[in-house]
Amino acid sequence: MPDSSPPLSVRRRLRQGRDRLATVLVTAGGIGVIVALLAIGVFLAVEVVPLFWSSGATQTISQEALWLPLEVADDAVGYRWDPTASLAADEVARVSLVPLAWGTLEAAAWALLIAVPLALGAAAHSALFMSPRLRSHLKPTLELMEALPGVVIGFVAGLVLAPWVERHLADVLAMLVLLVPGLLLAGGLWSCLSPRLQQAMPLGWAGLWLLPWLLLVLATAQAISPWLEAWAFGGDLRHWLEVRLGLDIAVRNAMIVGMAMGFAVMPSVYALAEDALSGVPRSLAEGAQALGATRWQTLWRVVLPAASPGIFSAVMIGAGRAVGETMIVLMASGNAALMTWNPLDGLRSLAATIAIELPEAGPGGMHYRLLLLAALLLFVFTFLVNTLAELVRTRLRRRYRRLGGGA
Amino acid sequence: MSAVLRRCLAPWLLLVGLVSPQAQAEEIAGTLGAMGSDTMAGLMLRWGEALTRQHPGIRLQLQASGSASAPPALVAGTTRLGPMSRPMNEAERRAFVERHGYPPRELAVARDALVVVVHRHNPLESLGRRELDAIFSDSRRCGAHEDIQRWQQLGLDRPEGRIRLHGRNAASGTHGLFRRIALCDGYFRPEVNEHPGSAAVVAAVAEDLRAIGYAGLNHLTPGVKALARRDTEGTRHFPDPEAVQRGDYVLSRDLHLYLNLPPGEPLPVAERAFLDLVLSPDGQAIVEELGFVALPESRRQHQRRDLGLDEDGG
Repeated sequence: MPDSSPPLSVRRRLRQGRDRLATVLVTAGGIGVIVALLAIGVFLAVEVVPLFWSSGATQTISQEALWLPLEVADDAVGYRWDPTASLAADEVARVSLVPLAWGTLEAAAWALLIAVPLALGAAAHSALFMSPRLRSHLKPTLELMEALPGVVIGFVAGLVLAPWVERHLADVLAMLVLLVPGLLLAGGLWSCLSPRLQQAMPLGWAGLWLLPWLLLVLATAQAISPWLEAWAFGGDLRHWLEVRLGLDIAVRNAMIVGMAMGFAVMPSVYALAEDALSGVPRSLAEGAQALGATRWQTLWRVVLPAASPGIFSAVMIGAGRAVGETMIVLMASGNAALMTWNPLDGLRSLAATIAIELPEAGPGGMHYRLLLLAALLLFVFTFLVNTLAELVRTRLRRRYRRLGGGA
Repeated sequence: MSAVLRRCLAPWLLLVGLVSPQAQAEEIAGTLGAMGSDTMAGLMLRWGEALTRQHPGIRLQLQASGSASAPPALVAGTTRLGPMSRPMNEAERRAFVERHGYPPRELAVARDALVVVVHRHNPLESLGRRELDAIFSDSRRCGAHEDIQRWQQLGLDRPEGRIRLHGRNAASGTHGLFRRIALCDGYFRPEVNEHPGSAAVVAAVAEDLRAIGYAGLNHLTPGVKALARRDTEGTRHFPDPEAVQRGDYVLSRDLHLYLNLPPGEPLPVAERAFLDLVLSPDGQAIVEELGFVALPESRRQHQRRDLGLDEDGG
């Protein structure tokens, strides 16, 4: 033993001390996060209280005004968000949070409807079938997509995409109709190729095979849309929608928000789902295929269930981001506090309302407290989504642990 | 170890070094703090530049986060000038009086107007009071008999279909003014798209033949057309500077500047220089350059007299 090194007992004590310090720091960090989270909730709750139980100085609001429909015209009943209206003595304040909550959930639902199938499809393909070389290029690209700031996506969606879609509504519709059958047809054509060509283009490179077909489908849609519009919709699709179906079309609408926010949510859902799917042990899939399962059966019956806890949490993280996303909804939705099922109508979300109105609402006033109530609601929403996600995830994980699936 | 420490601290020291001379300069040369309206941000900045050109020692520091931010800052004494695109309301005034014991000094520094705009190819030229209300509101307090939701209801055969409505967000002064004058204090339809700024309203209307919206006068672009307003006798009033100055075009307002000035006390030097500039022909020329409307000459002179700006050669 060299002279310079301290005796063993000192070293051990030093190490123990360091361990203890690390434990304390980690614990303090964990507690700090929980305290901060609670503090935000408590702050919001305390600020909101004077809305309901006033000490005299500020105006109070009844629960009915917030959550129940009110009389908006002579014989019409509905929900309205109009917090700065000056009221006559006998009028109820128009501060219903229902249309805002509706808008938030509607935007998130459209975003997930668009993002989840695409992201999960991409994740399944890249985790199981794609050639490793292509995958090593694709994954970083998609992760780069995640780094795009929401304000940029919202800007492009609101100022470029929305007017374009409005002008080319028939083209977009034709594309949506043609896309799925067109790509399925392309997949079918692949199996008609000569075996030599098939070998040159294995499943791992299927994306490259589909790319020209995708372009072809888009071009076809563009070409046939005037004809389609003339034949099926009397020459003007917008007019037809308005007159026949009674649908209003807003330039900035729920569809546009769904597309833009779907684009924003997709990369994170893809990344998490991909990790979960590639975490499923290869032996499971190989075993299934050895027993005679097709690729589809292997994917659907074996790999997906084994990775389901991870996939579920991926979708829930996407949902959490979609509910809280502010700038995309603010710039692409038109901020009209409507409650309709029409995907071509505008909407208004809680987060966007807070972002637009809080800077100009005087602190301490009724409007300010209402916006904090909206913030509290948003906080509760995301809290519930995350808690639900965690609960389901642990249950699923327990059930599929036998399979040795990914987290 | 000390080398690491120095490397860690260096950027911070640098930062402190950058900040401190400025902080010193503020105290010596007199920085005027202003906090309030974002509508008036451009105006205040240009006035501030002109002021620094006249008196190189004085500098205007502006924080434009909305008219509602001005009263609390004036009450707390964190700002000396409060630009507001709307008059202070009762509660804000009361808070100021409670704290300081006297009301804030209110000045009109420019005139502004709201214009109702449509796409430049839209054939519509003017709207009456009731028509405008029936288009934008579902309460129809100005006396219209039914809602107007389609262009055909205005007697036009083009554009077809629904009228798409655009406006400012509910907390803005523009929204409040439009509600008060154009909707007779009624309620906006929920279909109105609310944009965070007047420029966004104009941009949205400029790209859609079926859109109509309201925005600040200074945001007009060649892509949109401002509508005239018909009064009850059927006379058309275009939002031109003369009509806005006289108030014939009723969708107009004063832009205000609020000061914390105890009654009977003279203006501090920096404020005095600033107001002298603002209420001078040069200051009003800046107003017109930015697309607002200058104060009528008589009001400008009246306010100068009130503030004592023309006495003792100031």
